[in-house]
Amino acid sequence: MSAIIPETRASRMAHLKQRISNISLNFYGILGYLFLYTPIVIVVIFSFNDSRSTAQWAGFTTHWYVDMITDSQIIISLWNSLFVAIVSTIISTIIGTLAAMGMERYRFRGQLGMDALLYLPVIIPDIAMAIMLLLFFNLSGIGFEVWNVNIFGINLAVPYSVIIGHVAFNIAFVAIVVRARLSQMDRTLEEAAQDLYANTWETFRKVTLPMMMPGILGGALLAFTLSLDDFAITFFTSGAGFNTLPVRVFGMIKKGVTPKINAISTLMLAMSLILISFSLISRKRGGEDQSIEMF
Amino acid sequence: MIDGFAVELRQVVKKFGQVTAVDKVDLQIRDGEFFSMLGPSGCGKTTSLRMIAGFEMPTSGQVFIGGEPQGYLPPYQRPVNTVFQHYALFPHMSVYQNIAFGMEMQKVDKNEIQQRVGETLEMVHLSGMDNRRPKQLSGGQQQRVALARALVNRPKVLLLDEPLGALDLKLRKAMQVELKILQDQVGITFIYVTHDQEEALAMSDRIAVMNQGKVHQLGTPEEIYEAPANRFVADFIGESNFVPGVMQKMGPPAEISVTGTEQPIAVEWLEDGINAGDAVVVSVRPEKIRIHPMGQAPTYPAMCRLSGQVEKVIYLGTDTRYLVRLNEESAVVVRLQNIISGGGHFNEGEKVDIRWDSAHARVFKE
Amino acid sequence: MREKLQRFPALRAWLLLLPATFWLIVFFMAPLVIVLVYSFLERGTYGGVVWNFTFENFQRVFDMLYFSTFLRSIYIALLTTIITLLIGYPLAYFIATRPPERRYTLVLALMIPFWTNFLIRTYAWLTLLRTNTGLINTMLMSWGIIHEPLPLFGNDFAIVLGLVYGWLPDMVLPIYAALDRLDFGLTEAAGDLYASGFPTFRRVIWPLSIPGVVAGAMLVFIPSLGAFVAPAILGGGKSLMIGNIISNQFLAAHDWPFGAALSTLMMTFMLAGTLIYFRAAKRGDAQ
Repeated sequence: MSAIIPETRASRMAHLKQRISNISLNFYGILGYLFLYTPIVIVVIFSFNDSRSTAQWAGFTTHWYVDMITDSQIIISLWNSLFVAIVSTIISTIIGTLAAMGMERYRFRGQLGMDALLYLPVIIPDIAMAIMLLLFFNLSGIGFEVWNVNIFGINLAVPYSVIIGHVAFNIAFVAIVVRARLSQMDRTLEEAAQDLYANTWETFRKVTLPMMMPGILGGALLAFTLSLDDFAITFFTSGAGFNTLPVRVFGMIKKGVTPKINAISTLMLAMSLILISFSLISRKRGGEDQSIEMF
Repeated sequence: MIDGFAVELRQVVKKFGQVTAVDKVDLQIRDGEFFSMLGPSGCGKTTSLRMIAGFEMPTSGQVFIGGEPQGYLPPYQRPVNTVFQHYALFPHMSVYQNIAFGMEMQKVDKNEIQQRVGETLEMVHLSGMDNRRPKQLSGGQQQRVALARALVNRPKVLLLDEPLGALDLKLRKAMQVELKILQDQVGITFIYVTHDQEEALAMSDRIAVMNQGKVHQLGTPEEIYEAPANRFVADFIGESNFVPGVMQKMGPPAEISVTGTEQPIAVEWLEDGINAGDAVVVSVRPEKIRIHPMGQAPTYPAMCRLSGQVEKVIYLGTDTRYLVRLNEESAVVVRLQNIISGGGHFNEGEKVDIRWDSAHARVFKE
Repeated sequence: MREKLQRFPALRAWLLLLPATFWLIVFFMAPLVIVLVYSFLERGTYGGVVWNFTFENFQRVFDMLYFSTFLRSIYIALLTTIITLLIGYPLAYFIATRPPERRYTLVLALMIPFWTNFLIRTYAWLTLLRTNTGLINTMLMSWGIIHEPLPLFGNDFAIVLGLVYGWLPDMVLPIYAALDRLDFGLTEAAGDLYASGFPTFRRVIWPLSIPGVVAGAMLVFIPSLGAFVAPAILGGGKSLMIGNIISNQFLAAHDWPFGAALSTLMMTFMLAGTLIYFRAAKRGDAQ
């Protein structure tokens, strides 16, 4: 630690000042992370509270989790959430990846307008997008038909409108992430493939696609997360009787706080953690540390 | 092969928007030749190479490979392979997969692929590295993989785009020798793009010196160094003195009056298009100049002599450089080998005579 | 066809962009236009619209009753942005000055709340702040520190706190990205040129981190202005923002044209802000 021996008063003071500023910065960092994590941790803790209170600890129980998984409404909304997220992620990943390639690989007239069209859904707040879609579906009369599916014996009736809405805001996010990856990619790799007798399609399949893959996976994971998280658009475009997990939780919160909501929150938190681990694994595969690629 | 050339460029022009990158270039590259395109960045050498490979299409003119016009053929239909500047190895494939890629695309038999990859790896001294990823290799090793990946396809012509640029000096020197040996071994035509004149001189059979989209001189390394065709070539290749003067007499013997001196000097070679009375420069290599104490220079016919004063002496180990000031406007660098230890034959401020054989001087337009 | 695609790359680009263009024009631009059109129509009795052209909706927007909420929303969004910046900047600085391996872990630790559902994060504060049964008031009262519950809930304080908490990672990450790119050798160069701690920060670090600050401010301000969930949950039905008034027009008041007019105003405001941001960013690049 003390490789440098403070000799003069001035150097002693400077040394002291630096240590104080370093210690206070560390202290500040700890406080910052405490602020971020304490509320979440408390929610998790009280999901195990043996009382209706979320403020006074009354012993450990898993009662609220039992309560959660035996509530068929919650299970249905969980499956609704997953179904909407999976379908809209698949569609928006395909469309968004194609769009990213079109935007990154070519220069053409009207590109600026296309840029605006692609990124506008990112800027517009979800409440505005939600009522836009509500009015659109109402006026056009399309989209409120439901898609009947049966998953593990549970019947789901998912309105197309919800999926359409989720795809509409996810395309942009997928395109941004894939584009970032593409822009980092060395174009000469494709030239090398062509030089080695790979035609346009083979070049795409053997070189471009594998190189893009981390970006595509990252984009898909982001789309999946955003879809699972969405409340406003689902709430306004689903019509009556359809709930995803956030919509149901919102309804429950409006009626009052119970540790059962804490249990659902803990479940949703666990789902986020799983998604983060997936994204970490896919990034490791991509070979680069792009921890803040989503910007 | 109708005309006996491995590659021919006929009146090739490439424009990028308003910018002309390659301007009516004619080149004929012989079969089995080590041919270099040398020039500063932006001179059109890389663009020319990319047009041979098929990455760029000429705006006008035609590229021939083995006598066949290439037209708009895509890269994958051309019998050439490229070694890229930063290697462009596929990061998601092993060394083996990288090298086998071209043959797989050509649907070569699996056993043959295996055999040829093995042979080629041996040739570039990388046997046993098959399963490594490019990232796990050093720069020099990546370079060899890139070479192997191109050579394994037995192309008619190998195109190399500054392949040694990313290596450090020592490795670069070693690879220069190795490349040359490799070319003898495989007998393939090499077209080599570089901005490093030493590299081009050391390796090439012939060099095309390019600038601003045009070929300024085409010749063997010796021709280009000893007899530069114009001021750009003299300046770009090696070191040259440029002494300004005025064309006195067209000759023979042609004479020039050096600015600031009375006595005219004789010259043998003039650039085309110089007339009496034109402003010109006399170009002499520093090592072709002799230096003598004032008044002691011997006089021979065809010997040019000027007097001046030593302004600066720089000791460089193998030789010593003297900056000799002739007059207000011009000074000349003279290079003397340090045959006798102790260096310092002349001191700063000393009055000296310098002389050179008129055969060693080239006269260019100002 | 293949020949044509090779010769006209723009054609290929449009082919790739066709699905996205179709989807966004039909399911984004068309709805946007509908909102614009509806904002000039009259309301129907039970929701819906009557096709009569009118400016009345926009006149009502400037009614003090609604306009004050609009202004208050801007105020809350600004306050949120400033507080997030004040908390987030030192945090980003803290992360950026740690050793690389620790930096990775710290950024990851930011991502976890960032990826967690906003609704849950807001709900967490609800359980902490509620007036009589919230954790904070319960604890403070049981320890005898206070005797009356503090007014932590159902006001602007609760909304701003919820928004700050929700968007803090959005502020920290871009600032961290900017600071991470910054060469800390520069601070040594500044130190070498006799600048001590604060001048080094003011003259070197801060100017170079401004792009991150601006990006973070945009990422916080825009969703804060359009906030809907946080005021609905933490505002306790008393403290509302513009997002809640908009949603009320569709859920309760059945005045669609007025809701459309409010949305139009909000979107115009945000687009203007974004355009200013891009202009500034472009100018920053040019320097």
